[in-house]
Amino acid sequence: MHKTRMMVLGLLLVAGLVLAACAAPAAAPAAPAEEAAAEATEAPAEEAAPAEEAAAEATEAPAEEAAPAEEAAASGEVVKATPGQSVEMVLMPKFLGILVFDQANQGAQEAHAELGNPAGLQFLGPTPENSVAGQIEIATNAATQGVQAIMISNNSGDQIAPAAQAARDAGMTVVTWDSPIPSGEGEQLFVAQVDFAETGKVMADMAMSILGEEGGKFAILSASPDAANQNAWIASMQETLKDPAYANLELLDIVYGNDQSEDSYNQSLALIDKYPEMELIMAPTSVGIVAAAKAMQDEGLCDTVKVSGLGLPAEMLDYTLNGCAPEFALWSFVDLGYTTYYASYLLATGALQGAEGETFEAGRMGSYTIEKDPTRENGLRIVMGPFTVYNAENVEAAAK
Amino acid sequence: MQLRWKFVQRWEGLLALLLAVIVLYNAVSTPGYLTVNNWVNLFQLSIEKIIVALIMTFIIINAEIDLSVASVMGFSACMAGFLYAGGMPMEGALGVALLAGVAAGLFNSFWIGVVGLPSLVVTLSGLIGYRGLAYVLLEDRSIGSFPDWFNRLGQQPWLGPFPFAMLVFFVLLVFAIIILQYSGFGRYVFVIGNNQAVARYSGVRVQRTKMILFVVSSTLAALAGLLYAARLGAVRGDMANGFELDIITMVLLGGVSIFGGTGSLWGVLLSVLIILNLRNGMGLANFSGHVQTGVIGALLILSVLVPNLAATVRARWSQRRLRSRPAAEPGR
Repeated sequence: MHKTRMMVLGLLLVAGLVLAACAAPAAAPAAPAEEAAAEATEAPAEEAAPAEEAAAEATEAPAEEAAPAEEAAASGEVVKATPGQSVEMVLMPKFLGILVFDQANQGAQEAHAELGNPAGLQFLGPTPENSVAGQIEIATNAATQGVQAIMISNNSGDQIAPAAQAARDAGMTVVTWDSPIPSGEGEQLFVAQVDFAETGKVMADMAMSILGEEGGKFAILSASPDAANQNAWIASMQETLKDPAYANLELLDIVYGNDQSEDSYNQSLALIDKYPEMELIMAPTSVGIVAAAKAMQDEGLCDTVKVSGLGLPAEMLDYTLNGCAPEFALWSFVDLGYTTYYASYLLATGALQGAEGETFEAGRMGSYTIEKDPTRENGLRIVMGPFTVYNAENVEAAAK
Repeated sequence: MQLRWKFVQRWEGLLALLLAVIVLYNAVSTPGYLTVNNWVNLFQLSIEKIIVALIMTFIIINAEIDLSVASVMGFSACMAGFLYAGGMPMEGALGVALLAGVAAGLFNSFWIGVVGLPSLVVTLSGLIGYRGLAYVLLEDRSIGSFPDWFNRLGQQPWLGPFPFAMLVFFVLLVFAIIILQYSGFGRYVFVIGNNQAVARYSGVRVQRTKMILFVVSSTLAALAGLLYAARLGAVRGDMANGFELDIITMVLLGGVSIFGGTGSLWGVLLSVLIILNLRNGMGLANFSGHVQTGVIGALLILSVLVPNLAATVRARWSQRRLRSRPAAEPGR
């Protein structure tokens, strides 16, 4: 009796769940597709200038400029950093164990030495499987530790916004780099590696150059679906494709490998099975592009399916030379870390206010002006740039 | 039984000692550790997991396991986000999401309690299935911009310095301790975990007990998922991914036997405090995430090893005693 009642109840539940599952996809498209925007994942960069040299120069850096910087900003002058000020800083990558982030750390350490900051610069990141909660935990702990500035490559969409805002409320400087907070909440400035709109054009141009004038069908292998930078790049590429000049390129699908090698590898294999007519995989992530190139090489498909996107010369060398990935692009992550450090240092020392129109000098990288970020509704950015496109001719030199 | 009970007490003593060492070490070596703010943060950063750990304690003592909790957390949070984005008021969306959790629990408990499938299999498919539903609902989107009151609930102090979720945890903790350790239902949970057949022939309603546990488990998981959504201010399909293992770790380190029948919420509370303080201390000392994971992994291995070793040693000892004294004491 009891049993029958439970059985009926159970069956009803099953039916209910099934119904819910079926109803959901139908309803989904209606929901606002906000969030199209934002990120570019890591693209790797050319090679870092020898950091020791830079560090050596740092000592010589003039200690001029103790002048009240706020006024300078207001009057449109270029704000320069006063070396030797103490700012406890944390550089936080999306997660640990990715070469480009280590390069960014190298650049930040270079700037740290150059500016003679007597306080510490920590490179703290979550593990890949704990990326969202881990980033939040590190940001929260940083506030407790009395860290004065945190530089975040955001991997959690808007989920980190409350923690970033709490850090701001605690008086910390919060700067994002590589990947911003989509809502711009809790963030003072985003140091963009390149103009996100340009990324789409660079990728489309590479696709044309690989596939030739007759074009072809291709798919995109991205990092995580929430990576603001990836999404912005993909959106900008889709925008570029509307141009008649690229009419022969057809985007088949966008898949996500979550910046994990194995995931990305499997997603690449799934793409070949699903789209036999596909001729190119475009991966705007340094992890994805290597995984895709390896997958094509392992399957012996390098003649029919090419790989391109954003990758590190050191990791892409073999695949570029053997023709699996004839062309790819990147910027310097060392420079990105370096520039981010300068911006954060200037904001934390009060030299910069973080207002639109302020111009500052970031050491060897030159001057940047803070502007509204056109890829997001709220948020300020500076654009570092530029892109370098790598092929068989220049990849070897860059990989060293 | 007598022996075992003593041992449990000893395990808790060990945990308390370990906790004291960790707290002392943190207090001495880490400025900023002994502040109310940091202690609130320390709970708040894992609050959803420790809420679910309470009911997981019941389930593991009952010699079952619920691997689907993290997926249910994600599913309910995504359900709320999905409905809210579709225009439903937040209050309604939360209600439906909580009911979705109840439904998930009824679904699990149907297969476990009525059909009699092993909970490992049922909840493993739940782990995959509910996560799948979460992705079906939100696909690759992330949904945020919840009403202010909801975000405040998750992110601001609610009573004194304490956020809402923390109060929920402590209220649930008190209830859980009373029910598991001082009620008839709690005794059934232990008896079933010790020996299901004996429990059944002694008139314990095994099926019913199990079903209640799994329904409560998914319901609490759904609640925890919604609290997580409030804390983060945004939801997406992979929310709470992998939390089930952290939760089970907390329970096992608390001295609850994975084979059921033994354990206590006091032990689990101590192990929760140990893990939270350890993580917090390592975080404040800038240990990398990999080291933190490694240390907690090592702790778990020890937590399984030490009791087993102790049991072996004790068994040898009593054998020797039996041999040396022909007039054996009555067995347990």
